[in-house]
Amino acid sequence: MKIKWKNIYEWFDSRVQLDDLVHFMGKKYVPIHRHSVWYYFGGVSLFLFIIQVVTGILLLLYYKGGEGLAFESIHFIMSKVAFGWLIRSIHSWTANLFILAAMIHMFSVFFEKSYRKPREITWLTGMLMFFLAMAFGFSGYLLPWNELAFFATKVGTDIVGVLPVIGKPMMLLLRGGEGVTGATLSRFFGFHIAVFPGIFTLLLGIHLILVQRQGMSEPLDVENNSVKEIKTMPFFPNFILRDLLLWLIVLNIIAILAVFFPWELGKKADAFASAPAGIKPEWYFLFMFQTLKFVPSKIFHIDGEVLGIMLFGMAGITWLLVPFWDRKSKLGEKSRLINIIGLFVIIYIIIFTIIGWIT
Amino acid sequence: MKYYYLAICVCILGFIYPDKGMTAPPVNQCLNCHLENGFKEAVLFKKDIHYQVGLTCAGCHGGNPNTDDMDKAMSKSAGFIGKPKGDVITKICSSCHSSPEFMKKYDSKLPTNQASLLKTSVHGRLSISGKEKLVQCSTCHNAHGIVPPSDLNSPVNPRNVINTCGSCHSNANFMKVYKPSIPIDQVEKYRTSIHGILHAKGDLKVAVCFSCHGSHGILSPSDVRSMVYKTNLPSTCAHCHSNSSYMKNYKIPTDQFKNYSMSVHGNALLVKHDLSAPACNDCHGNHGATPPGVESISQVCGTCHALNAELFSTSPHKKAFDSLNYPECETCHSNHLIITATDKLIGVDNKAVCSRCHSQTNNPKGYIAAKTMKMLIDSLENYEKNDNKLINEAEQKGMEVGDAKYKLRDVQQSRLEARTAVHAFNLKKFEVVVNKGLAVASDIHSEAMNAINDYFFRRYGLGIATLIITILAISLYRFIRRIERKNKNNV
Repeated sequence: MKIKWKNIYEWFDSRVQLDDLVHFMGKKYVPIHRHSVWYYFGGVSLFLFIIQVVTGILLLLYYKGGEGLAFESIHFIMSKVAFGWLIRSIHSWTANLFILAAMIHMFSVFFEKSYRKPREITWLTGMLMFFLAMAFGFSGYLLPWNELAFFATKVGTDIVGVLPVIGKPMMLLLRGGEGVTGATLSRFFGFHIAVFPGIFTLLLGIHLILVQRQGMSEPLDVENNSVKEIKTMPFFPNFILRDLLLWLIVLNIIAILAVFFPWELGKKADAFASAPAGIKPEWYFLFMFQTLKFVPSKIFHIDGEVLGIMLFGMAGITWLLVPFWDRKSKLGEKSRLINIIGLFVIIYIIIFTIIGWIT
Repeated sequence: MKYYYLAICVCILGFIYPDKGMTAPPVNQCLNCHLENGFKEAVLFKKDIHYQVGLTCAGCHGGNPNTDDMDKAMSKSAGFIGKPKGDVITKICSSCHSSPEFMKKYDSKLPTNQASLLKTSVHGRLSISGKEKLVQCSTCHNAHGIVPPSDLNSPVNPRNVINTCGSCHSNANFMKVYKPSIPIDQVEKYRTSIHGILHAKGDLKVAVCFSCHGSHGILSPSDVRSMVYKTNLPSTCAHCHSNSSYMKNYKIPTDQFKNYSMSVHGNALLVKHDLSAPACNDCHGNHGATPPGVESISQVCGTCHALNAELFSTSPHKKAFDSLNYPECETCHSNHLIITATDKLIGVDNKAVCSRCHSQTNNPKGYIAAKTMKMLIDSLENYEKNDNKLINEAEQKGMEVGDAKYKLRDVQQSRLEARTAVHAFNLKKFEVVVNKGLAVASDIHSEAMNAINDYFFRRYGLGIATLIITILAISLYRFIRRIERKNKNNV
């Protein structure tokens, strides 16, 4: 058996020089310290993305985009296609867990200041992928063409529409017209399965290459501690196997969620029906949605909603550009301000999400 | 001297208690001249109620009735208006008839709201000229020679009112100007009705136009306030037909309204305000109101229950009922007290109507058919209940059973069809309908059971998957530990 595997390996090695890759991975080490656990969330996010791609392709075999077909095709997938219910539930649950894992990964990188030189581009690609993940969520939410999705998309695109100058054209671009119609569904479907995956794959490739090239970032206190020698573990096979172990656990969690809490389809969207009471966006947009609800209608003669959206936009850009304005971390110094900002953001998101959820 | 005192007393008493008969009659010089000249109106006015109570021509025409000088009598300065036209007629009439104080002077018991009722009635709309109202008081009551409605000569007396109303309503040329869609055969139909037949025989207690439509305040039948609006009609009919003393001489029951109110039709119309439910006129006709004949009941009921009537007409019961003089639908369903038809009506137990004629001994064929039909329809009902229960169970388990739930409607439809198919009184035809429902019910049963089984399959599958993943994870963990131990030893 061993000889057989060896033969196969050699067959490939003689063609694509596998030895070089194995050698590279064998030389790569992952630092071991008290914050090492956070390294795994990057891998978990990757694993969840892979599940999304696989289940998304399977759904695509039966899904039909279009106002009169979308809901019916999802209903068909859930009721007639063998294991269709499982695939759809896994896709929906994984979408949410993917954003959660990516969020944890992002905050861990933020608090470890791993974005500092030379990993600015890694941070930027990661952040862009996070924004894309949210866009994936927003566009995918409409695809079943159910009542909740219809009105959530209407509210969401309405918010985009209030932005000065670019708001209205953006809203028209997203909706493919004045209202949320079959044209919106077609666009969102196109974004969800072609535009976003294309960009995401490109960013993911750059991100992974950079991670491999630059290795895992070490926290500042570990890096600055020249007295102690840093413990490491080989990336291959030790770290990869540990990743794999965690992926198995995550897979089991997803399976449990899909079986015990299958994702509901709800009622078919009806543009003439009144919006269901207490309509809310997905949990990862909830803190922004709730904030906009609290903002007064006018602040210093400026429309409160516009101001709120612009503030969130500015906060997002500031967060995105943190490697360039956090000078202390760049110099290898501890930065309490960054920690305070990070904590504030986490507490803000948690509190406003809870308020949004219970009200 | 004695006579002198007596004369004074009489004068005082006469002054204190003036007698109407003692007052001098009003001078009506107009009438004198017009009578002399043989005017028809003047002759008629001599019989007029207004003349009887002492009113003069000037009451309506103005002028000075005290002088025989034509120029003075008919001068504009004396208020002479000549022949009143258009709305002026109603205005003149209502100037007295709408004044309770004025009418009180004549001990009148007449209401004083006729003019206001007329104004808001269908007759109060504008005529085609657009200058006057469609109907004036004189249109129905005449102008000269007006007598009380109780007078047999009055055009609005029950004896004459049919023709009075018919003079316009039976005139196609007149009616098409105002409402082309309205029928003009009301009088003709009325003559064929029980009311009309008795009326022609001189019975003036029977319903005439105003009995159902009212008089001055007549509204369109589509107006919810109308006496003949669908939901008001049963009460309108009941006004006479539930009055046992009024109906005494006609020797017909007076409990129709009471029974109808408790019936499925009455409940639908009077309680649920379902305007598709029949009122009295839907079965008896309105202007041609008459009880349906024994052989035509199924035709009457069939105007709504078309399929049932058609099946019954071709069934063996049609011939049997007609020969036995049984009133078709009424035999099983009653007439005014028609209760909601349930499956209990079929079968051979005490509550079933079939058992009234069919028994094991005197008509075994019908008895067996009734018994089998009951068994079949009960089976369908039980299947439906069971399927419903299974679907609910599957739904509570979070399973998708939308299709099965939708199909359940087909079973309900089959049950409804079966209830209709009963009216063919043909077991084979009935079985076809029920079997169709049973086949769908069986499909639903399988789908619901599959969904429930799938629910357990998913859980068992998850259990097995979890077991495999756990074994894999433990193996992997042990493998990692082994590698790490190996690495440590090498270091």
